[in-house]
Amino acid sequence: MAFINNILSTALAALNIAVNALANIIFAPIGFLPGWLSNTIISAVMGVLLLILFKYTSNQKAIGRTRDYIKANMLALKLFKDELSITFVSQGKVFLGAFRLLFHSLRPLLVMMVPAVMILAQMAGWYQFRPLKTGETALVTIKLNNADPKNNNNPNGNTNRILPEVSLAPSPAAEMTIGPVRIAQLNEIRWQIQARQIGQHNLTFNVAGQDYHKQLHVGPGLQKISPLRPGWKWYDIILYPLEKPFPADSPIQEISIDYPNRPGWADGSNNWMIYFFLVSMAFALLFKSALKVKI
Amino acid sequence: MKRTFHHDNLAETGHPAGAVRPRSLGSFISVPVIFLILTIVLTVNQPAQAYIGPGAGFAVLGSFLVMLGAMAAAVVTMFTWPIRWIFRSIRGRRALARSKVKKLVILGLDGLDPGLAGKFMADGKLPNFARLRDQGYFGRLQTTVPSISPVAWSSFQTGSNPGKHNIFDFLTRDKKTYLPKLSSVSIHPPPGKLKLGKYEIPLGKADIRLLRKGKPFWHYLGEHGIFSNVLRVPITFPPEKFKGVTLSAMCVPDLRGSQGTFSFFTTRKLGHGEYIGGERTEVIREKNSNGTEIIRSELIGPNNPILAEHPDMKCPFTVTLANGKTVRKNSSQNSHQKNVDLPDDDQTISDTQTIPDTQAVLKVNGESFNLEKGRYTDWITVEFKAGLGIKVRGICQFLLLNTAPDFELYVTPINIDPEKPAMPIAYPMVYSTYFAKQQGSFATLGLAEDTWALNNNILDDQTFLHQCIQGDQEREKMFFDALAKVKRGLVVCVFDGTDRVQHTYWRYLDGKHPARDFQKHNQERDAIEKLYQRMDKLVGQTMKKCTGDDTVLMIMSDHGFNTFRYGVDLNRWLEENGYLVLKENGRGEKYLAGIDWSQTRAFAVGLSGMFLNLKGREAQGIVDPGTEATQLREEIAQKLTNLVDPQRNTEAVKQVYNAQKIYTGPYKNEAPDLLVGYQVGYRASWETAVGQVTEKIFHDNTKAWSGDHCIDRSLVPGVLFCNRKINTEQPRIIDLGPTVLDMFGVDVPQHMDGKPLEIVTNGEKVDSPSLPKATKQKNNDN
Repeated sequence: MAFINNILSTALAALNIAVNALANIIFAPIGFLPGWLSNTIISAVMGVLLLILFKYTSNQKAIGRTRDYIKANMLALKLFKDELSITFVSQGKVFLGAFRLLFHSLRPLLVMMVPAVMILAQMAGWYQFRPLKTGETALVTIKLNNADPKNNNNPNGNTNRILPEVSLAPSPAAEMTIGPVRIAQLNEIRWQIQARQIGQHNLTFNVAGQDYHKQLHVGPGLQKISPLRPGWKWYDIILYPLEKPFPADSPIQEISIDYPNRPGWADGSNNWMIYFFLVSMAFALLFKSALKVKI
Repeated sequence: MKRTFHHDNLAETGHPAGAVRPRSLGSFISVPVIFLILTIVLTVNQPAQAYIGPGAGFAVLGSFLVMLGAMAAAVVTMFTWPIRWIFRSIRGRRALARSKVKKLVILGLDGLDPGLAGKFMADGKLPNFARLRDQGYFGRLQTTVPSISPVAWSSFQTGSNPGKHNIFDFLTRDKKTYLPKLSSVSIHPPPGKLKLGKYEIPLGKADIRLLRKGKPFWHYLGEHGIFSNVLRVPITFPPEKFKGVTLSAMCVPDLRGSQGTFSFFTTRKLGHGEYIGGERTEVIREKNSNGTEIIRSELIGPNNPILAEHPDMKCPFTVTLANGKTVRKNSSQNSHQKNVDLPDDDQTISDTQTIPDTQAVLKVNGESFNLEKGRYTDWITVEFKAGLGIKVRGICQFLLLNTAPDFELYVTPINIDPEKPAMPIAYPMVYSTYFAKQQGSFATLGLAEDTWALNNNILDDQTFLHQCIQGDQEREKMFFDALAKVKRGLVVCVFDGTDRVQHTYWRYLDGKHPARDFQKHNQERDAIEKLYQRMDKLVGQTMKKCTGDDTVLMIMSDHGFNTFRYGVDLNRWLEENGYLVLKENGRGEKYLAGIDWSQTRAFAVGLSGMFLNLKGREAQGIVDPGTEATQLREEIAQKLTNLVDPQRNTEAVKQVYNAQKIYTGPYKNEAPDLLVGYQVGYRASWETAVGQVTEKIFHDNTKAWSGDHCIDRSLVPGVLFCNRKINTEQPRIIDLGPTVLDMFGVDVPQHMDGKPLEIVTNGEKVDSPSLPKATKQKNNDN
């Protein structure tokens, strides 16, 4: 598993550099367009692009046949509704068809999962959270690796473990109001900070004499926010692509900031994703016939 | 939002399983997606992080929606079924109590001849027919006057003589214009239209009307809650509403509204032109820079309904002749069409492919298909754009006949697409969609086998036979599906390939036929024998599915067959005998256009009918409808019965029937005044059928269409097989409907002329059917 994680993490970290650079250009208009509008445009384009990708990564012939099979049996339900045995047989066949359809969507799903998740991760940076306002507080959590043998030799997992010395360097961007609070059981140290200065800043953490950074966003409007700087885990690297991951041998596993959710029906926390889903689906449906895609 | 934290709750926020994680993508997890990709993400033993959206997500969601829909349908069915069952039981309780069968299957084999069937059975070539004969019944089935499919099948459906169902021929004449017109259906444009510049928007629907009167017997079954599945029974277009499902047949038009217009594209210097039943387009080869050749042309569709001038809609296509060169695909390739007979599973061309001389690439509607010489493509969907986003869809098959020295391409008539029919061809409307989804596209044209393309020598024996066999294969799938779906009720299915094959290959059975050498290479000499053997297999399979004691199987035909050597130009005979006068230069004019109506007392059009030019009925009638008409009918009938073919010194006419005497019912005055029953070997000439007058009475029939049944009905009886004994001496086609009603315990309506056959069920003789007195007394010849 570690081997696979290492390969995937290396690949994804490299890919993120390119994707971030590209996304900075493509998604730049998000910064000045109304959130609902930018999400609508992105969702529409994505809907069509992913539809095309689906066309070329799926077995269209088989999907067409399966769709016909399902439709025929759905119609049989209507046409021969007085025959209960026909009804049951047709329903069974509809279910069978649905499972076949599911099966045929596996390949495109696998192919599309990586690019789709990467794009959605970029969008999440814009829409999921809002930056801190000045004077607003947030929780900062640093999760440490279990590298210290003193920590690892405790089979009961009790709280006697000793966490290394970690300090949060003072910054004009934010003031530490509470902390550090050490939770040895979770290998975590937490602070509460209060935002002071508008802009994109770096919080600096010192662990055993070495500095580690984490972005902090303070200010109004739409900003691309990285809520978490990931460690050397491939799935975190793909979901939180905006900051460089900590290497595998780093004493820090990850650093997160608990940003507030962004409000908004189309571009707010979680809603943006529902909106994306609906709009991209609508556009995919709209272009399905024109692009001759069977889904 | 201001949030304050205390020292303590900083620690409490820790998630028991790990660190506090910002709620992002990973926190928004679609349950169905997790279900699907669980197996994938479990390999890394981490929480499922999934994406939802179009494409794959759509498909995943789609399949769940399908399941949801099916479950909803299941629930609705489960809850409503008992109610429907109670309603059905109450409605049909009387019939149910009297019913002698649970299921009755009628397999119609159009034109199956009792003489040939008997001969082939005697030769041991039809084991299943023979088994059915030995087990139950085999006999001749009296057909109608005239012995023509639309008439006979209408009588079959209604249990009535033609005077009650109003169908007397394929064609009749328009009383106002004298123009021939279809006798079974009328199609009129929508009543209103809205003019918007060059557009003319139709308001309302086209008026498509079935001219067959009376109700088919399955209508009465439905009134008693008995379900019927009626497949391709002639004269059921447009389909009527009843308790059951039906797919229309004979008289369903092609997309252009004709009864089948094929297209022939060739580089031969013949110019554009018309054939009977088709049209020819001269095309030219254009050289491409890569050495290939391209041919551009257009399929002709229906009239544009929304343009004021109603021009033909067109669908452009190209054929690339590679001449042994490599062709690069430059468009989306069709991914599901394949040739019926190609060994390859996939006929689509790859990105680059060397196409031999015998192949070509067809591009139509943005899709490409491989054409191979002598092989039909599968049904291809073609779209005709009317404008304003309106499209009309049809289906057709292409057949590359030749690439060199001349390019020749045949295209079948453009059939109505069963998946999205442009006009109703089934009841309920979705029944054709059901079949299209289940088995793919299929021929919907009433007379799907293109006999005129064979007559015109465009198709040869083999390529025509392919159409017949393909049609039968499509029908078989539908028929067996119907057999499986109907547990209690009626299944009727008519196969008409039997009719077309006998019409066109009879020349091989008749050593004296003028069309014996119709084609240089006699390719399918035993086509008719093979046809009967194919039907025998079908019968065997059907018998396996009709094994229960409560299932009755009948196999019947509407008429038999005989040879058609010579055509009789009735109009010429009328002219020679002073009943018909031509206008100056009127000879040879089609559609009765050459006739001088002011001096003509009788004329013929269609395959067996002769009309008097009656005052008050025909627009320019001159014959008084009283005594004069009566005497004229008698006079013509007497003279015509004595008609002798001088070249062969044989009688050409067996009997001439007076419609006033042989028909009863409200529509007998719509019938031709006289109906000609020809002797074996003779039939109305091709010219008479279309209202043309030639210079001689007798014509050699040199067309492939060499067998016929439009002769005296006594010479071409149909056939009846049954898996039960039948004690009726002379079964008639009009008896079958009443028989079915009686078997299901439904009273036979008094207006029906037929009476139930005495069928022995379960080894016992059936009691004499309880009939209304009026029906019992009737045993008309018709």
